[in-house]
Amino acid sequence: MKLTIGTKIYAGYFLAIVIIIFFGVTAYLNTGKLLSDSKWVTHSNEVKNNITSVLSAMQDAETGQRGYIITGKESYLAPYFQGRDSIYPKLKELKGLIIDNENQTHRADLIKPLIEKKLAKMEEIIQIRRSKGFASAEAGIVAGMGKQTMDSIRAILAEMTNDENRLLIERRSIMEVTYQKTNSAVLWGIPISVIILALIGFSITRNVAKPLRQVTRTAESIANGDLSGNIASSGRNDEIGALMQSFNKMIIMLREQNQEILKGVNIIASTSSQILTSTAQIATGSAETAAAISQTTTTVEEVRQASQLSSQKAKNLSDSANMVARVSLDGQNAVDETVAGINNISKQMDEIAQTVILLSEQSQSIGGIIASVTNLADQSNLLAVNAAIEAAKAGEQGKGFAVVAQEIRNLAEQSKQATMQVRKILNDVQKATNAAVLATEQGNRAVEAGVKKSAQAGEAIRTLTESSREAVQIATQIVASSQQQLIGMDQIGMAMQNINQAGMETSISMTQAEEALTNLHELGQKLKELVEQFKM
Amino acid sequence: MAIEPEQKRDTSTITEIIEFALAAESYGIESAFVREVCTLKDFTPLPGVPSFILGIVNVHGQILPVLNLNIFFNLPDRGLGELNKVIILCDDQMEFGILADEVNGTKAIYREEILHVPLTITGIGEKYLKGVTKDHMIILSAESLLSDKNIVVNEEVNQ
Repeated sequence: MKLTIGTKIYAGYFLAIVIIIFFGVTAYLNTGKLLSDSKWVTHSNEVKNNITSVLSAMQDAETGQRGYIITGKESYLAPYFQGRDSIYPKLKELKGLIIDNENQTHRADLIKPLIEKKLAKMEEIIQIRRSKGFASAEAGIVAGMGKQTMDSIRAILAEMTNDENRLLIERRSIMEVTYQKTNSAVLWGIPISVIILALIGFSITRNVAKPLRQVTRTAESIANGDLSGNIASSGRNDEIGALMQSFNKMIIMLREQNQEILKGVNIIASTSSQILTSTAQIATGSAETAAAISQTTTTVEEVRQASQLSSQKAKNLSDSANMVARVSLDGQNAVDETVAGINNISKQMDEIAQTVILLSEQSQSIGGIIASVTNLADQSNLLAVNAAIEAAKAGEQGKGFAVVAQEIRNLAEQSKQATMQVRKILNDVQKATNAAVLATEQGNRAVEAGVKKSAQAGEAIRTLTESSREAVQIATQIVASSQQQLIGMDQIGMAMQNINQAGMETSISMTQAEEALTNLHELGQKLKELVEQFKM
Repeated sequence: MAIEPEQKRDTSTITEIIEFALAAESYGIESAFVREVCTLKDFTPLPGVPSFILGIVNVHGQILPVLNLNIFFNLPDRGLGELNKVIILCDDQMEFGILADEVNGTKAIYREEILHVPLTITGIGEKYLKGVTKDHMIILSAESLLSDKNIVVNEEVNQ
């Protein structure tokens, strides 16, 4: 058969559907019949109920009437009014229900006037009671035909009810029959259809299951790792045939892929070993780097401390240089004062010199005067000599003149002596003056020397100040550069830390990589094992 | 104040001499031949005269030669240094002045005090010396000076 499995299955299902429809229709029809039958049953019950209610309405009226008649209270008339008001509608209802039944209709027609009669009678009695009282009413009841009417009504209603009961029984039996029919249909039909469907199902499954089992077996063997088997082609063209062909293709594909995977796995294994060695090397390298970094950090710390020390020293130097500068400033001031003092002395010396020069000049003048006095004395002396000569030439007459000449000579001599004394004193004064001049000169020289020395001292102090200022500058520069050094060291330290951090992270990453690689390696091994499970 | 003149022991032996200093030696010369003593002022040197003639001076309008005894007596010449006095010697024939450092005045001495002296003491020729006193004053002979032929200059200027 060239039917596809799908067609076969559809056919099976179609058959099942047909059977179901058949059963469904049957059930539906029978159920409908049952329903209508039960409706008739209900109908009869309704009629019965209606009849009962009519009767009860009449009874209610009667009760009410009686109550009123007995008690005379209007309130006891309530059932009476109720019954009375509901009789006619109910009667109408009844009529409507039994309209298909001739007998019953006839009976209903009989009842109506009776009811009317009864009601009228009751009303009458009520009126009597109202107006005339109990005794009259009682008399009326006894005398009247009310009871008989009521009995007639009751009889008719009973008939009606019996009739209806009979109908009920009939209808019930009809329902029973219908029910039986339905039951048997179902009871017989289901097993038959079950058998038919079973047979169909069985054949289909056989058609489908056997090859499927074969395929499953092959799949099972593949699952167990045996890729060597093949499915024998059955030459079928349906889905099963297609499945088997596809399965064969799949087996071939799997085989090829396995081989490829195996190749790939080998490559992975070798590559991961290579990478492992590389990472091991990197790990070693980073360990070395870490060691070098810690060394560098220690060295940096040492340098830092050294530069701090040098900075401190430079600060000290700066301080002491500042002090030196101050001291040298004081020294310079002192030197300046000294120079000023010395200049003062020099001025005094100059004044002294001036005075001495004045003295000298005066003594020069005195000397001049002395010279002239001496000259005078000389001349006087000469004069005296000449006078003596003349006196001598004059002889005797000149003796008096000779005396005079002698006196003149004496005078001249005295003045000469005097001048000599003065000269001597002048000489002494001159000597003293010279000594003073010498002393002044020496003083001047000393002053000059002092000035020079002070100048030298001043120079030295200035040089010292300069040097100390330079020293301060240098010290400041050293401090600054030490600070920079410190900052640099700090930066280096931080950089080292960063490097350390990075190194550690690298280390961690390396470890992770190693782990990953190891995993990969294991995975590769596992893959290899998996792949090698399959027999090709 | 007046000084009593020296007691006359023997007026005939007293000579008045003019005492003067020359080249650190004290000399004396008879005042009889001394006309005047004056200071040396504005002497005019003469060319073509012996070296002992200093030059000529104008004394009271009279032109007189001046001799430098240092040179004349061949004493070590000290230049004109202190020679600032001129003693004018004069006699009947000759009149000239001689240089002196100082003229100390007149002195009356006895002839006996004039002692003869050996030649070796001074370089002055014997004929010009009269003697030496005990005060080491060399008494010069004015007459011999005045009559010395060497003093007369007769040179003529070459024409």
